[in-house]
Amino acid sequence: MKNEKRPKSYCPNRRTFLIKGGGALAAAAIASPPIISGAAETVNIGGLYPTTGSMAQIGVGCVAAAKLAVEMVNDAGGIKSLGGAKLNLIISDVQSDTTVTRTETDRLITSNKLSAIHGCYASALTLIASEVAERAKVPIITGSSSDQLNKGRTYTFTPFARASQFAQAQLQMSKLVSDKPKVAVIFENTAFGTATSNGLKELAPGEGVEIVMFEPYSAGFTDASPLINKVKASGANALFSVSYLNDLILIVRTVKQVGLNIAINGGSGGFVIPDFYKNVGKLAEGLQGVAHWNHDMSDYAQKANAEYKKRTGEFLFEYAGGLVAQTFMLADALERAASTDPVKVREALATLDVSKGYAAMAPGGRVKFGPDGKNVYGRPIGVQWQNGDLASVFPKEDARAPLLKT
Amino acid sequence: MLETIVQAVINGLLIGGIYALVSIGVTLIFGVVKIVNFAQGEFVMVGMYITYFLATQFGLDPILSLVVSMPVLFVVGVLIQHTLIRRVLGLNDLPQIFLTFALSLLLMNLALMLLTANYRTVHTWYSDEALHFAGLYVPVAKLIAFILAMFLSGLLWVFLHATDLGKAMRAASQNREVAQLMGINPHRVFAVALGIALALAGAAGSLLMPFYPAYPLVGQVFVLMAFVAVVLGTLGNVIGALVASLLMGVAESFGIQFIGADSGLIVVFLMLLTMLAVRPGGLAGGRRR
Repeated sequence: MKNEKRPKSYCPNRRTFLIKGGGALAAAAIASPPIISGAAETVNIGGLYPTTGSMAQIGVGCVAAAKLAVEMVNDAGGIKSLGGAKLNLIISDVQSDTTVTRTETDRLITSNKLSAIHGCYASALTLIASEVAERAKVPIITGSSSDQLNKGRTYTFTPFARASQFAQAQLQMSKLVSDKPKVAVIFENTAFGTATSNGLKELAPGEGVEIVMFEPYSAGFTDASPLINKVKASGANALFSVSYLNDLILIVRTVKQVGLNIAINGGSGGFVIPDFYKNVGKLAEGLQGVAHWNHDMSDYAQKANAEYKKRTGEFLFEYAGGLVAQTFMLADALERAASTDPVKVREALATLDVSKGYAAMAPGGRVKFGPDGKNVYGRPIGVQWQNGDLASVFPKEDARAPLLKT
Repeated sequence: MLETIVQAVINGLLIGGIYALVSIGVTLIFGVVKIVNFAQGEFVMVGMYITYFLATQFGLDPILSLVVSMPVLFVVGVLIQHTLIRRVLGLNDLPQIFLTFALSLLLMNLALMLLTANYRTVHTWYSDEALHFAGLYVPVAKLIAFILAMFLSGLLWVFLHATDLGKAMRAASQNREVAQLMGINPHRVFAVALGIALALAGAAGSLLMPFYPAYPLVGQVFVLMAFVAVVLGTLGNVIGALVASLLMGVAESFGIQFIGADSGLIVVFLMLLTMLAVRPGGLAGGRRR
């Protein structure tokens, strides 16, 4: 569990104290008041995101998307079976920390009458929140990709591709670039990193891809040179990096400095957000990744993207876009449950089957949950940075632009 | 194989130079003023943001912005000594610890509030360039940072050994009471020490900027290495901290290269524990310089 903290816990006592103390200060500054609705009845939806700490930047984007989605549902008339009840989003800051996530999820559930929860971006945090939600019998819907979230849980719903599916897509993409892919896999030693990379390792032989290097690294390093030095020595012609933003920036820049000619697949996480391009610039062109959602993949996605862009100035990134879809899935379930009771909402989610509208805004275009809470139609989408934008390039049926081989 | 080893040494030394700038600041403050500055990493962060804004607003090259970041942080250091640290000296240790700790928290959260958690990078023509020879490579930005870090460390050494103020500083660090009896004004010496230490942190920030992204918590990444270097190189010993930083950089690089990419810090801390067991005084054997 210790490894799941990011950035790496250097000095546990001080670090914990820093996070708590610092988080409290920042939370006071950032925490937003709940949206007050005019209607008599409201449906409380909890949103757990890291708006402070190391993942704050993505957490803040998620909150913006969650608010946008709630407004979209409310503007369209709210939940009609509940007399047009409005959704009321209650955001809680989990401070990028597993301990805080546990206490905040507990607090959010006990101090509010919630119908459902969504969160928390990072798998390490979502795993904790999901445990708490299961015990409290409140359904949680999440875009986090860890396959662990589909084990022994009945209140957890994952409408998007799983880590193991990401792995398969990445391997298939590497075969489009080279006939004989020799892949170096480097991954941060967290729940997200290990889950994704283990998927790669297991599936590689079946896909006919050779893995020549498989190496965990400590997230939040000062220098990527030794790691890239190792990649160079391995003789790989493709590099899969399972990393969040700051490490990935250093990795991409170091690959350029070393002069290594290697096809990089940055996976998801920090790779598919606008900030990646801002920080890496032209070096990002042609880099590939995988995502559970992309802003150009359907008309609805493009509409949501346009609205988000108007508000924030940036394109709607993977996790935030998925969150808009999740909110509409919850609205669909609430509509059919005709109740704010979390247990009834869970039952309605379990029988969800949508293939149109914002709720079906997922690669594959259809959402229906299996008994393990996994979307049976879920699949990832392969993306590539082209001209400063993230284009969907894989598989063929989802592609909006051809894959560039440079 | 030889190529890989030499490359690992180069990588380690280059990053060690940055560790050195941070750790020399910490050890100087500890040696002279006898407090541990937990906020040293945050001043690196401040230096990075100063450099970032100079680069984006005025197009100033990060390396040239040293001439702004160092004086600005020098003044900040003097002011902090005069208005804050002076008040808690001589009391027991706890207020001193909490003072610098509070500063660290304050700066981190101010940065989060005012600058957001976004990563910010500065691109220069040399940011992604490297010198290639004999199968090896040396990143230009890091080489510049290393050379300037060594130059500044050397300058500090000359200052401490060749100027009256530097000698007064060493005297105050060796024995505060006797130094006072010899007519040295401790508060002036302390203020200069704080100023120099923070200026070094500012320099580290400016030198990092061409190849490392700035974000509010970035100081935490570097300050831990600095603390280890300070202990490893004997508390208060500037040359010790420098040598220890370079050694740690190389040890970390070798750990990643030959043991596993998640074992860089394991190697560094094993080094620290071994040192504490065999030579508890550190590399310099307990002598303060």
